[in-house]
Amino acid sequence: MLKAAKVAHIQPTQDRNRGVALTSALWDSFLSGNRQACARLITKVENDPSSIPEVREKLAGRIGKAVRIGITGPPGVGKSTLSSEVALGLANRGHKVGVIAVDPTSPFTGGAFMGDRIRMEKFVGDDRIYMRSLASRDGHGGLSPATPHVADVVEGFGRDRILIETVGVGQAELDVLNCTDLVILVLQPSTGDAIQSLKAGIIEIADLIVVNKSDLPGTDTVLQSLRFVYSLGGPNSRPAPPILPVSCQRGEGIQELLEEIEKLSSTLIESGRHQELRQKRLKSEIREAIQECLWKRYLEAGDAESGIERTANELVQSGGSPYGYVREACAQIELKLKKEA
Amino acid sequence: MAQPKTLTEAQTPTREAEYTTVSGREVNQVYTEQDVDPKDLHENLPLPGEYPYTRGIHPTMYRGKLWTMRQFAGMGTAEQTNERFKFLLARGQTGLSTAFDNPTLYGWDSDHVYSEGEVGKTGVAVDSLRDMERLFDSIPLDKVSTSMTINAPAAWIFTMFLANAEKRGIPFSKLRGTLQNDILKEYIAQKEWIFPPEPHLRIITDLFKFCADHVPQWNTISISGYHIREAGATAAQELAFTLQDGFTYVEHAIEAGLDVDEFAPRLSFFFNSHLDFFEEIAKLRAARRIWARHMKERYGAKNPKSWLCRFHVQTAGCSLTAQQPEVNIVRTALEALAGVLGGCQSLHTNSMDEALALPSDKAVEIALRTQQVIAFESGVANVADPLGGSYFVERLTRDIEDEAEDYFAQIEKMGGMVKAIERGFPQQELTRSAYEYQRALSENRKTMVGVNDFVNEDEPLTIPILEIDESVEPNQIASVKRLKESRDNVAVKDCLDKLEKAARTKENLIPHMLDCSRAYATEGEITEALIKVFGEFREQSFF
Amino acid sequence: MSEYPIKVVVGKPGLDGHDRGAKVVARSLVEAGMEVVYLGLRQTPESIVAAAIDEDADVIGLSVLSGAHMTHFKRVRALMEEKGIGDRLLTGGGIIPTKDQETLSELGVGKLFGPGDDPGAIVDYIRDWIKTHPRKEAV
Repeated sequence: MLKAAKVAHIQPTQDRNRGVALTSALWDSFLSGNRQACARLITKVENDPSSIPEVREKLAGRIGKAVRIGITGPPGVGKSTLSSEVALGLANRGHKVGVIAVDPTSPFTGGAFMGDRIRMEKFVGDDRIYMRSLASRDGHGGLSPATPHVADVVEGFGRDRILIETVGVGQAELDVLNCTDLVILVLQPSTGDAIQSLKAGIIEIADLIVVNKSDLPGTDTVLQSLRFVYSLGGPNSRPAPPILPVSCQRGEGIQELLEEIEKLSSTLIESGRHQELRQKRLKSEIREAIQECLWKRYLEAGDAESGIERTANELVQSGGSPYGYVREACAQIELKLKKEA
Repeated sequence: MAQPKTLTEAQTPTREAEYTTVSGREVNQVYTEQDVDPKDLHENLPLPGEYPYTRGIHPTMYRGKLWTMRQFAGMGTAEQTNERFKFLLARGQTGLSTAFDNPTLYGWDSDHVYSEGEVGKTGVAVDSLRDMERLFDSIPLDKVSTSMTINAPAAWIFTMFLANAEKRGIPFSKLRGTLQNDILKEYIAQKEWIFPPEPHLRIITDLFKFCADHVPQWNTISISGYHIREAGATAAQELAFTLQDGFTYVEHAIEAGLDVDEFAPRLSFFFNSHLDFFEEIAKLRAARRIWARHMKERYGAKNPKSWLCRFHVQTAGCSLTAQQPEVNIVRTALEALAGVLGGCQSLHTNSMDEALALPSDKAVEIALRTQQVIAFESGVANVADPLGGSYFVERLTRDIEDEAEDYFAQIEKMGGMVKAIERGFPQQELTRSAYEYQRALSENRKTMVGVNDFVNEDEPLTIPILEIDESVEPNQIASVKRLKESRDNVAVKDCLDKLEKAARTKENLIPHMLDCSRAYATEGEITEALIKVFGEFREQSFF
Repeated sequence: MSEYPIKVVVGKPGLDGHDRGAKVVARSLVEAGMEVVYLGLRQTPESIVAAAIDEDADVIGLSVLSGAHMTHFKRVRALMEEKGIGDRLLTGGGIIPTKDQETLSELGVGKLFGPGDDPGAIVDYIRDWIKTHPRKEAV
């Protein structure tokens, strides 16, 4: 008589009884440097977007000075190892460092495999470095939408250098550009054309390029190719960023990398560009928050979602344009505002 | 593939949706002459003892000499293991095989901070020559061949073994045995490394040279597929990665200036014998054929002894169940039979309780008796390669060989095995196979009797389980401390300094390690001296 | 009350390098929608607990096949209490005799799994445990 085995149910796990309450005890703990409190606050901000306004209020005055450094690049180039070396190096130079490592959420199961801490056990007990892994959740495989808010919490916890490490798939590069002050692109020497395989535009956004695993053959080819690509630029294109070979395994090039990072960070701050970038991000944040708010208000108008659904179904049959519906919907909003005024 | 079309076939329903081996390979309902390349029944199938050795490495095979019955043994202290060795030899075992504990395998002494909780648990604790002396007390090392299953620190543990033989007046030339010493599979599967690959490869090559000159009967390496299989690989992956590791060792030694015929005759292999009976037999036959060809045609070896793929087989640990453990006796018997029909030179049979603990006396005795029944009662040992010429077996041998060759080509494209390991290729392959197999079990596409079928609910455990005494660890730690106080510490420091200096050059390190061992330097002290020069390896985890 | 994915820290303490099971289970947890922080090999109780704190993990999963499970599970459990995360689940698997499982259970270690256990059973166990064990907010 065959007995059926238990089959692992493949459904997203969405129930968990651990809501975080933003009590004054939690805030006191956080402000006094308790890591568990920081971890809880990150959980809150990651999972409950409605808490963000309150959290930001409490963090007022503690945010704005940190330099946020993105570390991106194709999978397998050794970003994790590099991040851990950079984190340690910056800590040794007197900084308090935060590391946020983002890994992709599976679009099918909702789960995520996060292996960036594997390099981190040498930091155990080191108060200068705080690390958190984030799953990209709805971020289309790029960064988690919560990333900038998590970075705020980490900065509020007293970190003045925050590394944001991405997997380099999906929209990760653009996402990282929008929430950091500096972007480090990590590549590795390999047979074939490393440069051609990069997505268009990535090279342009990098403030610093690292050719990792420089002990492997092909390093010189990649370095030359990169310099060549930049030399092709016309008068309007940006000048070539520093391009550095590094071998984490051999411990080569790391000091030079750290010096470059420090230099870029100082220049950023002294030139005022740091403030510019921050201002840009705040503008974006405000814009998005208002859009979010407007959308919510629109949804409150009764059958908003079902109206869209219905219209889309009709259009599939009729082949018509959606913009008649859109015009009417917008007209409705104006009506609402006028009413309230 | 011609399939017989008979009326009965159309009318008879089929039990399963698909028929695959444990590795997921599809097999036909029946095999005929049409399913085999005629060459594989003729030119590629010479007699046993003839190139390319598909049918076995000796003309007489088991009529000339039975496989060595070599049960892996080790637990607790050197004294306890010595007793188990004597127990097994008294019951008819014909060779020794030593299992070491985790700290010893990783190169650490029992009193090291990483060793806490681990001393003596998975094998015997050996910290110095003193433990080696106790381990082999009263064992005639010139008459019994001894295998030592240790990898990263194999070379210096081996020198402790040599120093012990020397003290007992046994010349190195009389010592027979095998050192596992296979670092590449550690990066792939077992994860017991110390340094990055290059320093380990250098030490392995040093050992090849040293033994060629001084310990000529010793098998310097046991290039292993067992662990790769246990970590989840398929049969073809096990075969391909093992042989590719072998090619890498050969190439490395040749590059270091050794003549291939100087060291190749002493290379040996170690394969798994898993549950799918015929797949395993085919795999072992393919191994011989592939190795012979590459050694002769690719590496230009002239001595026929260099072409031989001699191997030890162990039945599959990962096939054992914790549920209804007595049933494991049956699994082991079938796997052992496959190993024998595959032509192994040496065999270890697992004990029924090994999904639960190290083997008890009773369980290991049954495991040994299993081999003896096969050897002396079943008649299987009377005929060499009895399955040779079977359409199914020859076809399967060819298919596995082809699959292995595909892997070789892939790995060569990556720049060789070391590069492939650095980018995680074999690790990812076997992790995927492991997951797929688990899925197959979860979904009942594959059966594990007693686990996902024929389950006895709430069955109590009724067999005795070996327990390691908690006093082993503190006693061993005390023993190491006593040793460090009673030896000539000036001499020890001197030897270690010389070793460290030599490590920075291209000198052969084995004589230096031997000096350290003679002076009763501990394993951990030698490890630390070498880490200063070579550094420690940090894994990049692959999924 | 918001709903979030269950977060699990998986690691192997000590010297045991056999990670086939840990990887298969980690993957099964991910397929069940959990966020798994995989620490890998050669972890110490300190590194495991520190990771659980910083990652705000609900569950710590250890894999021990070397016979050293009593040492490792006890140390991690004690450290969890000491560092204030005693309300999280400590579970895991490996080669752990029933007798030892019982002893560990009395010390607050959760159910342990061994050879032959289906990864689905671990998923179900974690889900049920989370449902019935709310976090304590003492920070």
